[in-house]
Amino acid sequence: MSDGAYRERRSLSERFLPPDPRVREPYRLTPPLALRVGILGAVALALFAILFLRLWSLQVLSGDEYLNAAQNNQLRLVRLEAPRGSIVDRRGRAIVSNVPGTAVQLWVGDVPEERRAELIRKLAKVLNVPAGELGRKVEARRNDPLTPIVVKASVSEEKIHYLYERRAEFPGVRVAGAYLRSYPYGSLAAHLLGHVGEISEDELKKLRRKGYRAGDRIGKTGIEAAFDTYLRGRPGAAQIRVDSLGNQVSDSELRQEARAGYALRLTLDVKLQRAAEEALAYGIDLAHQNKHWAANGGAIVALDPRDGAVRALASSPTYRPSVFVGRSDPQKLAPLLDEEAARRANYPGLNRALAGLYPPGSTWKPVTALAGMQEHVFSAYDSLQCTPVAYYGLDRQKFVNWNPYVNRPMTLPEALAESCDTYFYEIGNRFYERGREGRERMQQWARGFGFGTPTGLDIGGEAEGLVPTPDWRWKTFESDWDKAWNPGDSIQLAIGQKDLLVTPIQMAAFYAMLANGGKLVTPHLASAVEQPRAKGSPSVVLRRFAPPPPRPTGIDPGALAAIRDGLYLATHSTTGTSSGVFANYPIPISGKTGTAEKVVPLPGYPSDHLEDQSWWCGWGPSNDARLVVCALIENGGHGSTAAAPAALRLFERFFSRDAPPAILTETD
Amino acid sequence: MIGLAERPSAVAARRPESLPLAFLRRLDWVLISATAALVVYGLWVVAGITKFDVPGDEGYYVARQAFAAGLGAVGLVLAMLVPTDVFRRYWRVVYAATLGLVLIVFLAAETIRGSRRWLDLGVIQFQPSELGKVLFVLAIAGYLVERAGRVTRWRTVLSALGLGAIPILLVFLQPDLGTALVYGAALLAALFFVGVRWRQLVTLVLAGALVVVASVWVLPSAGIQVLKPYQMDRVAGLLDPDRDPQGLTWNVTQSKTAVGAGGLTGRGVVDASQTRLDYLPEHATDFAFASLAEQRGFVGSSVLLLLYLLVVWRGLRVITVSGDLYGAVVAGALVFALLFQVVVNVGMTMGIAPVTGIPLPFVAVGGSSLVTNLVLVGVLQGIHARGLLAGRDAAP
Repeated sequence: MSDGAYRERRSLSERFLPPDPRVREPYRLTPPLALRVGILGAVALALFAILFLRLWSLQVLSGDEYLNAAQNNQLRLVRLEAPRGSIVDRRGRAIVSNVPGTAVQLWVGDVPEERRAELIRKLAKVLNVPAGELGRKVEARRNDPLTPIVVKASVSEEKIHYLYERRAEFPGVRVAGAYLRSYPYGSLAAHLLGHVGEISEDELKKLRRKGYRAGDRIGKTGIEAAFDTYLRGRPGAAQIRVDSLGNQVSDSELRQEARAGYALRLTLDVKLQRAAEEALAYGIDLAHQNKHWAANGGAIVALDPRDGAVRALASSPTYRPSVFVGRSDPQKLAPLLDEEAARRANYPGLNRALAGLYPPGSTWKPVTALAGMQEHVFSAYDSLQCTPVAYYGLDRQKFVNWNPYVNRPMTLPEALAESCDTYFYEIGNRFYERGREGRERMQQWARGFGFGTPTGLDIGGEAEGLVPTPDWRWKTFESDWDKAWNPGDSIQLAIGQKDLLVTPIQMAAFYAMLANGGKLVTPHLASAVEQPRAKGSPSVVLRRFAPPPPRPTGIDPGALAAIRDGLYLATHSTTGTSSGVFANYPIPISGKTGTAEKVVPLPGYPSDHLEDQSWWCGWGPSNDARLVVCALIENGGHGSTAAAPAALRLFERFFSRDAPPAILTETD
Repeated sequence: MIGLAERPSAVAARRPESLPLAFLRRLDWVLISATAALVVYGLWVVAGITKFDVPGDEGYYVARQAFAAGLGAVGLVLAMLVPTDVFRRYWRVVYAATLGLVLIVFLAAETIRGSRRWLDLGVIQFQPSELGKVLFVLAIAGYLVERAGRVTRWRTVLSALGLGAIPILLVFLQPDLGTALVYGAALLAALFFVGVRWRQLVTLVLAGALVVVASVWVLPSAGIQVLKPYQMDRVAGLLDPDRDPQGLTWNVTQSKTAVGAGGLTGRGVVDASQTRLDYLPEHATDFAFASLAEQRGFVGSSVLLLLYLLVVWRGLRVITVSGDLYGAVVAGALVFALLFQVVVNVGMTMGIAPVTGIPLPFVAVGGSSLVTNLVLVGVLQGIHARGLLAGRDAAP
């Protein structure tokens, strides 16, 4: 047994010898060591005091708070998707409705960190979604793991069973009810309807305060986006008890019923819309028959000229909006999302009626004429010589008429009817000769008729167009030559060429103004928000959208009458540009053709290759206008051979009166 | 006077005792009772917190823990019987054994949860670095006491640090930051009790703080990673606990919720949802205290803390009754290591200490830890009894 004494270091030989009692120095607790023991004791006491205080503060002072947190831990609110409102036409026919589907959600918070990568990979494989995209979604939801990610909105029964049977392999994966958009009319009105998708980060930032949450489905484009507030309804909530792995351990308990979205009634007419889409196809087909092979797109707008209600609005090429729904196929989506694929498919996602920009050609001549009369540049019943060619400017630049065989004096109605270019060159030149201010007058009137700005259609997405002015030239171009506003600029503008760009809906609104006696209407699609009721009983109208009142344009009634005369002659006189199409139609139709040259890059042609854009705009009946139609066939050739017959198809459907066979002649 | 001399007790006191009896009488029975109470209380706690962990076998962990307690009791007795002086004389052997224990995991251990800490002995898993704790203290104290006359020299202090740094580094590399910290704390305490100057101790603490700052802040910004990302996250989580409550600080948030939800008297075993529904991670080991606090409340947790306080107090008393400097240093280092573990673990569950894998002494499920802590008490008992015996021999 140890003697307990402390010894100095000893040599090796001493180590195993018994201790010598004489050198024994008993060890004693030294005062410094005692002090240190005391200090450690004090430290220990202090530390325990801290632990006790903290324990007291957590358990007794704020115990209720934590108890609450612990109880909420097990309870989880699950958002119940509300069925989205349907979109119906003016007679209540559903263009977009819902079908129930099954969505697969991923609750990121329930997936252990180390299993995430593997789970994402497996889930992406089972559900056939891109793993990279899912990974990015999971990463984005890092700070909000209690909001589920919708992995796929529409999953087949078999795959649900597969996931259910292997639920141990798929922690945090849950199945939820979902509503999918369905389109009973296929591609009908695709450009107007738009599509629904999961809310993006940016949208969420803006809309969070309005009750939108991550994972919500939201209208992305078109009507779905513009009227999302009404269509989306209010999501409900259910409560479930879960363990820390997110496994549900109780039945779900409804906390708040989801409120279905309201239905949106449009001004659109399904039958007329279908007719418009068929008419476009017909117009393009006609263009092909006339050897305009590059014709493969177009737009038709049909408005009620009295209030601007859109009755039909079609753009070609089109797509099926269902490609955005549920089991979306990347291949089918590519032409809508990918630049290169879109170019190859001739931009099916582009709504040409709203965002397609074209020179209007001769359909612009009423604008020139109205401005000219208002500015007293000429008078409607003055005779101006319609010559095959005209020369203007210091350099005697040559301007030709489309018809080289005409050479006689004409009044405005005659000039409109035959679409005499030289007549309007003269008006353009007269504007030019009025000097700096005069050169802008025509453009000011054009702006007053709604050109150069969006018409204000309630779903947005409109292009502005371009009404060129001397000022615009000065600001836009670099070289001195290009900066200058030359006679040619005014003269070409008079026949709707050169820099001028308009959209079909702008033209339709302008012709509606001609048709309704001089008031500019705002095109609109939404008619009312309705609460659907049981089948058979009428819906309850919650809100009716009143279109903005038509704006007077301040044009002289006499001037307007001369234009209307001219546009009636254009469809009925023997020399009228579209008489071959409309003269024999039992309902009197007034309207103007247009054949506008536009630089169109086509493979195998020089880069400044010009293609004729085929236009026809007009209304019927001539003196009591009920429908304005503006048709455009891209690269379709003459207005009379493609756009005009297409427009007639719409009138036939609208008035339910078929036309006798048309005589198609190539006119301006 | 005469009557007084014939009082039986006085006679008995003078009668020579047999050595085993004298030894037994000089054990710290308060410490033994406190330890026993801790172990029993710990078993009761484990019974509660692991009740639903193994479906169909409520007593799975309690049974294993009780077996470990039995093993630990044997260890306690053995540690008590080995003369402390043997460790002092053969501290080099003890040091080599320590190195062997922390090295063996690198050769033979399988990786569990990203760390090589456990040795699979077939029936049980053994965590050598736990037992290494006691051996480490015995070795370092031996080295220091051998140079007791020169401990105020920097040379001695630094060489002791170097000697200690090797096992600490090895444990850190397993990686087991928590246990490495316990080793470090024990080393510091050994220096403290062997009589290193205050100025040197302060310098050491400052240098240690500098190392921490460097490894957490300066070096990472220079592109050198000392700590693993998860360890960095834990430090960041301690500094700003509200940041990202679902990610990095999930453990601590759930732990605080569990502690707080316990209230004054606890939610009981069945209703303690944080534990039962597995919101509390590692609730049988690292977060055992939070689980206890949820089930038994302030009252139940306080009983445990008071038992710890009692053990620490008796441990500190052992330092003062030690018969030699070696015993005092060993006792001081062991008690401080124990205190450090309790404070860091309990503090971690309440969000006032960083999350490190330090188990709750005597309670957390884990045989190695329980056995080691009982051995630790055995060593303290040995020092206590021999100190008192020496005092009797030395008395005139």
